[in-house]
Amino acid sequence: MAEKPSGSSISGLGRVKTWVATPQLRVRLGIRATLVFAVVIFVYYVSTAPRFFSVVNVSNVGARTAPGIIVAVAQTMVIISAGIDLSVGAILAFSGSLVSVAYCYWGLPVWPAMLLGLAAGALLGFLNGLIITKGRIPDFIATLGMMGTARGVALILTGGLPVPSHLTAVTLKAYLPREVIWMGSGKLLGFPVGALIGLLVVAAGWVILTHTGFGRAIFAVGGNREAARVSGINVDRTKIMVYTLAGLLSGLAGLVLVGRMNSANALMADPANLESISAVVIGGTNLFGGEGGVIGSLLGALIMGILSNVLNLHNMQDFAQRVVMGLLIIGVVLFDQLRRRYGA
Amino acid sequence: MSSSLILRTEALDKSYPGVHALDHVDFDLYEGEVHVLLGENGAGKSTFMKIISGSLPKDSGRIFLRGQEVDIVSPQHARELGIGMVYQELSVIPGLSVGENIFLGRLPKRKPFGTVDWSEARSQAKRLLDDLGVDIDPGERVGNLGIGEQQLTEIAKTLSMKARVVLLDEPSSALSDEERERLFTIMRGLQEKGVAIIYVSHRLVEIPQVAQRVTVLRDGVKIGTLLVDEADEATLIRMMVGRELGEQYPKERIERGRELLRVQGLTVKGVLNGLNLSLHEGEILGIFGVLGAGRTDFARALFGVDPIDSGEVFLDGRKVEISSPSEAIDLGLGYVTEDRKDGLVPRLAIPANITLASLKKMTRLGFLKHDEERASAEKYVEELDIHTPRLSQMVEFLSGGNQQKVALAKWLCSQAKILILDEPTRGIDVGAKVEVFRLMNDLAKQGVGIIMISSELPEVLAMADRILVMADGSFVAEYEGGQASGEDLMRDAVAG
Repeated sequence: MAEKPSGSSISGLGRVKTWVATPQLRVRLGIRATLVFAVVIFVYYVSTAPRFFSVVNVSNVGARTAPGIIVAVAQTMVIISAGIDLSVGAILAFSGSLVSVAYCYWGLPVWPAMLLGLAAGALLGFLNGLIITKGRIPDFIATLGMMGTARGVALILTGGLPVPSHLTAVTLKAYLPREVIWMGSGKLLGFPVGALIGLLVVAAGWVILTHTGFGRAIFAVGGNREAARVSGINVDRTKIMVYTLAGLLSGLAGLVLVGRMNSANALMADPANLESISAVVIGGTNLFGGEGGVIGSLLGALIMGILSNVLNLHNMQDFAQRVVMGLLIIGVVLFDQLRRRYGA
Repeated sequence: MSSSLILRTEALDKSYPGVHALDHVDFDLYEGEVHVLLGENGAGKSTFMKIISGSLPKDSGRIFLRGQEVDIVSPQHARELGIGMVYQELSVIPGLSVGENIFLGRLPKRKPFGTVDWSEARSQAKRLLDDLGVDIDPGERVGNLGIGEQQLTEIAKTLSMKARVVLLDEPSSALSDEERERLFTIMRGLQEKGVAIIYVSHRLVEIPQVAQRVTVLRDGVKIGTLLVDEADEATLIRMMVGRELGEQYPKERIERGRELLRVQGLTVKGVLNGLNLSLHEGEILGIFGVLGAGRTDFARALFGVDPIDSGEVFLDGRKVEISSPSEAIDLGLGYVTEDRKDGLVPRLAIPANITLASLKKMTRLGFLKHDEERASAEKYVEELDIHTPRLSQMVEFLSGGNQQKVALAKWLCSQAKILILDEPTRGIDVGAKVEVFRLMNDLAKQGVGIIMISSELPEVLAMADRILVMADGSFVAEYEGGQASGEDLMRDAVAG
């Protein structure tokens, strides 16, 4: 039976008084005030940042944020399925390194090299899924292990040096291909290609989550694994597919990042795991699975990207920026918890 | 009854929305007495125990302890008053030792730094266990003990708090015969020390062995208190189940069609022992049994949720293998789980939940057919009269009865021909119950075969065309509808 709204017959001044008087409503008021305050600060810093609105800077932010956005989409799907992927950053670096090594040192043609990198990313993701479902190992542990493994393999591949590097000039067959650089640094109709790829991935993620049976299965598995199983959904297959997709997207992000930096190295994208999880959480996806979406994660990634850019323009020291980012994540989640608890 | 009165309740009353859980219950307990509390599921036994042990507040009525009126506000308070509860679900911590469990939060301390005095804890624990006459090493990890010994650890813990009134909630359901014997010996020992025990049990056979008096509750009302000598099984069963089956059960007789399902020798080692059954079109087959009889295990095995060790399943006379729920669904089975929460995705909207078992039908090339999904959801919300402010409501925010209707709608949507309903009316109000029964009638008329698993005697008696009684993983009796009385079913279910 639908519940009737409980009587709110108090009016005028009396209502205002009660509104502030009960502790619960005071918290609600506080929550709204904080939100307004945060937005004002954000807008102030953005609008006073020197050159923020210059074409160069905006397009720069887009290009820089692109790999983060792609990884955030991957992480969103994993988290909605009630998992977590700590290996996205490592797979990104591994795939990026593999493509570069394959092209520059092994002499593979450009398309096979790129395909190899993407396929290898997907394979590592697939292994994640397999270990988690068939090996019954917690997502956290399995992907933590994969994180170390993938970084290690990437280090072995590159010898711990940037690719291409003149220290390995003996084997150097070519510099990075134009195609890869175009993905990270190119322009299409005036827009940075990396950002366009990022938006394309967001669109694809949105379609998968909201318009396919697979997407519905992801929500069901994350929302109630047992109910999903009893309803005939293949839970293991769904999880394996999600992790495979996450690996593939991480590999793609690796290509874009290598293209932007015009160089690959095994230790790149070190903070990608934390940043992707932060973007997902800031975007409102439930960290325990079952609800959320990629649009929120896009916004989360953009907010972090813009904030980082603005702090740079304000000449904030890089070390201090890390503190700000860390506090931002805690603040956002705390804020979200309060909002849920007090229904503001 | 020469000893003195220790605990007395006067008109103890408790209501939940839609349920009068305890209706002015008077009860008394003497020192050194074992008093059995008996009743069907939902009779109010647990509510009574929870109020006495301080974990649930009473609505009205009075509680007297040694003649003094007390207002028990918390489990802590109850313990201070000398009332200890041994829970049905063990509350021991498996990773800690027996001694640590017994003195959890009250470990003896050594001056001056307040470090734990382990040798003192050990010797105190040893003394307690010796007093109980049990041979358990206080240093043993509780997780390494058997269920019976864990139960004894709990009892020792309760006694260590100087309990004079001990509440035992169905302690024997998990115990072996040997362990149960030992428990009874211990209970007799406690009695001699003047400890009073309230003992909740389903097993009629053991009452004369342990108790002096029996109190029977039904629908929250105390039916009577008997001395054990007057309390033969037949009398107790009549007191437990004797009630009118009124308008609450709108049963319609439907012509039984051809055989839909036949199960032969279904076995899961240690759980289900060679089960046979058949189900026909338009038939409601009731499976009755008490807690732990294996009812839900049967449903899960048949539906492919749990693997089976042996046995054959025939649908429309054709042998089939069901090794996963998705195969069961493809073969036209549906399963409404005992706990609604196992069957619904709370944070998904109503339509997504209704179509969850029909995703293959609801997608084209992997893409969801949103229009079709909305249309069928609208149809079932209308047909089943699901009350919701809007179609896109998350099922988490629906009432229990409406959630249950969504769970049912899921299988209507998948067009199941065989429906397994496990406790279909648990936790929903009377009005919703009637609607669920009507829906079962309608489905039966359309030729659906229904297996209704239930521990509610009246609904099995009223709604089932045929009844199988289950005990200890076997079907022990079969009755045609109307041929059996509640007494018959209860006797079969508790035999042994």
